[in-house]
Amino acid sequence: MRDLRLAHEGKRRAVTRPVENPLREGLRLERMPEPFAFVLFGGTGDLAHRKVIPALYQLWRTNLLPHEYALVAVGRRPYTDDTFRSDIRASLDKYSRTLPVDEEAWAGFAERLTYHQGDFSDPASFDRLVQRLQRVEREQGTRGNALFYLATHATDFPEIISQLGRVGLDHEVHGGGWRRVIIEKPFGRDLESAIRLNREVLKVFREKQVYRIDHYLGKETVRNLLVFRFGNGIWEPLWNRRYVDHVQITVAESIGVESRGAFYEETGASRDFLQNHLMQLLALVAMEPPASFDADALRDEKVKVIRAIAPPTRHDVTRDIVRGQYGGGWVEAHEVPGYREEPEVDPQSETETFIATRFQIDDWRWAGVPFYLRTGKRLPKRASEIAIQFNEVPHRLFREATGDPQPNLLAMRIQPDEGILLRFGAKVPGLGIDVRSVNMDFTYGSSFSVDSPDAYETLILDALLGDASLFTRADEVEEAWGIVTPIIESWADMPPPDFPSYEAGSWGPEAADHLLARDGRRWRRI
Amino acid sequence: MAKGDVVEQNVQGGARVSAPSGVDLGGLILDSAPQKPGETVLRWSSRAHSIEEIDRELSRMWAIPKLVARVDGEESRHIAARTSVMNLVVVARRPEIGERCSATIQELTGRHPSRTLVVSTGDPDGPAWINAHVQAHCILPREDAPETCAEMIYLTAGGDAGRHLGAIVEPLLIHDLPVTMWWPGEPPFRLPLTAALLRITDRLVVDGASWGGDGLARLREMAEAMDRLRLTVFDFALVRQSRWREAIASIFDTPECVPYIRAMRRISVTYATHDPTGAPGSTNVVKPVYHAAWLASRLGLPIVKPLTPLSTPVSGRHRASSRPGPEPMHRGLTATLREGRSDVAVYIRPVMSGMPAGTTLRVELLAERRGSELRADVTAEAGTVRVRVWEDGVELLERVFRAARRTDVDLLAEAIEAGGPDPVAIDAIRVASELIAS
Repeated sequence: MRDLRLAHEGKRRAVTRPVENPLREGLRLERMPEPFAFVLFGGTGDLAHRKVIPALYQLWRTNLLPHEYALVAVGRRPYTDDTFRSDIRASLDKYSRTLPVDEEAWAGFAERLTYHQGDFSDPASFDRLVQRLQRVEREQGTRGNALFYLATHATDFPEIISQLGRVGLDHEVHGGGWRRVIIEKPFGRDLESAIRLNREVLKVFREKQVYRIDHYLGKETVRNLLVFRFGNGIWEPLWNRRYVDHVQITVAESIGVESRGAFYEETGASRDFLQNHLMQLLALVAMEPPASFDADALRDEKVKVIRAIAPPTRHDVTRDIVRGQYGGGWVEAHEVPGYREEPEVDPQSETETFIATRFQIDDWRWAGVPFYLRTGKRLPKRASEIAIQFNEVPHRLFREATGDPQPNLLAMRIQPDEGILLRFGAKVPGLGIDVRSVNMDFTYGSSFSVDSPDAYETLILDALLGDASLFTRADEVEEAWGIVTPIIESWADMPPPDFPSYEAGSWGPEAADHLLARDGRRWRRI
Repeated sequence: MAKGDVVEQNVQGGARVSAPSGVDLGGLILDSAPQKPGETVLRWSSRAHSIEEIDRELSRMWAIPKLVARVDGEESRHIAARTSVMNLVVVARRPEIGERCSATIQELTGRHPSRTLVVSTGDPDGPAWINAHVQAHCILPREDAPETCAEMIYLTAGGDAGRHLGAIVEPLLIHDLPVTMWWPGEPPFRLPLTAALLRITDRLVVDGASWGGDGLARLREMAEAMDRLRLTVFDFALVRQSRWREAIASIFDTPECVPYIRAMRRISVTYATHDPTGAPGSTNVVKPVYHAAWLASRLGLPIVKPLTPLSTPVSGRHRASSRPGPEPMHRGLTATLREGRSDVAVYIRPVMSGMPAGTTLRVELLAERRGSELRADVTAEAGTVRVRVWEDGVELLERVFRAARRTDVDLLAEAIEAGGPDPVAIDAIRVASELIAS
């Protein structure tokens, strides 16, 4: 939208705030973001090419972005707009969710794609960025709205944020329109650095402008978890210590560290997955029903439940946390090297590629119900799920029955084959009483064959619409680090682990099995 | 032969399949060509002449869920069990309409597996008869997934049976699943046959823009049926305008325009006609009427005077600002709404255009407040809707919305995906009916 009169008068637009507009009612699903410029830091990087730009292309292709939209990719490489466009086109041909690339959609998308060369530590580059955005606003009517996406190495975040603040690009009054920033994980590497980073970010942006992304929260099944729990009447009465024996959350990967050896050496499974994906899943499973689906109401409940987990002491870490590192082995019919033989990995590395934990949530709903979490690389398959194991029946009426009925179980598969499974006992047809466990299995694939949007599409659109429900808030990040940091610190004080401790292609070290066996339980076979 | 033995049988298409003994493979069709993900194939086709026979064919069809097909001597995939998320009933007055609709529905098989009944009536004279084709259409969601199949029943009822379609359709619905009824063409809302069908329907899908004449009498009948039968209506004509509504709503997202939202003085909708006389009744005006009705319902503007033919040209004061484009003919419809103590004039006017007749070409709004006026001009261009707004003659904003035309497949998918009743649509249809009440 060209703000013609205000521009003529040399006036700045006041911040656009949501106002009551009765014509908006019922248009929620049809709502399109206001005009905006998407400023992508790390525009030449892997994340931008594989995920962020393909997500924007999909949104554009499906008419979910406004006509007045511009993408300004910021990177260090000396590209021109044209060379950058060709690069993006090549990536879309490879990574687009729908292939082949729609030529008509691409033409419009490419027109709005520009490249801004600049070093993130060079103030002049940000001064030029301001001019560029002013030009984009004039020429493409982006109305001063801008979404900054930080798809760079985490060490660049403070500098970029600080420079954006210095040139006033954070400022909604000076710049006109809204200004938002999406920050990729990892958000800090421990509690202290997360607090420091939050402080740096919040010096420049207000919390409402900050969208800390954890792409797991954009996955269809994760979002469906909220619908499943709070959109159905039959589960919530069972969702507590009275009926639930324990909960298992697994995020398994069959891949190794691939080309990210150096990155992984600095992070490990605890920082890469436990602090964010697993803690978020736990929070969504265990939280109390929020009063509304409003971003803060939802995040308040998540924070409350994470806060109800006591930070593990050194004793707890020894007893309830298992770490592991993969050695060589076979995964999906391929022989693979051990972690210490991966490129850019220290041959004596003590970095964990597997972690299993037993957490206790000390609140009224969950007291005494253990939550077992595990994640690792080079496990037998890529599979993520949340399993709620219900208690056994109080009185085994069919104790004489043959067969091996298991207690009821509800499993929510996040990937692959997204769906929900309910296990219950059924009589085997015949004259005797033979009870077996059977599965009632719902798969998205067979009930809704429509393609689910990629998590990045969902989350970017949410950020453009100003909906922060599926993004993590500062206190949420810090609370999660408050659980994970003591684990990392305790390990640092312990003798070096006996790594490698599990064979690639297995379900992790034996100690992880003992963690449950000690409680008379076992991991679900996924 | 012992229970559970596997036998090989020839089926239609020349292939051989192995299946548990005792399973009749009569209607099975195997295509020896490899199936591609996303492609729908016909897996079963058989005939039936009564409700019992249809039920039996459906049971036979699904009695072989673990069927292993051997194509060209190699063991192929399992054919998946049926999947249904809804009942979809298509009432087709003529067989060619039924064929066109089923082609649309087949494109949705993977997306919204349903039990689909395409019903039509045959010769009304003579004894009651039913003729049905029972089919299974299957789709491979992706290379490594099992096939998903959905049922399609083409049913023609003749004689007395044709006058009691409700009694035929009801026993064929999958219980506990919602019923969406797609009624292409003109539903005779006041006939008992229609009422019987609508009573078993949760959602009626129509296209008001396809109705004959100006379409307004039918629109009024639909609104009555909606209230009488507590029916949820999904009208393609209303849904096609969603980008227009988005564009119009966006005007009042702008703080400078907000105060004018309660100061509307004129709503003018221009539509395309192919009739040089522009006479009322010659062109379907359901879509333009929906624009006015939607605005009136959302802004809570009561109707002072319903739509009547416009007898005089629009006066100078009520002409829009100097803008390009063809001048509308001096005919059309006018109504009066009320905003506080002021009248709000509504004009719905035709203009000769190469666009399909009844298509909205322009929506103009005039609002006046404390000596200032706000004019908004919303126009359709190729694949876009353009919004321009002036305050006291000074251009305040301009915005373009992409508005790609949606096909019947898109609209039907949206009708199916929509959740419960849409209160905004209900209000718009109700107000549209009141606007044409006279």
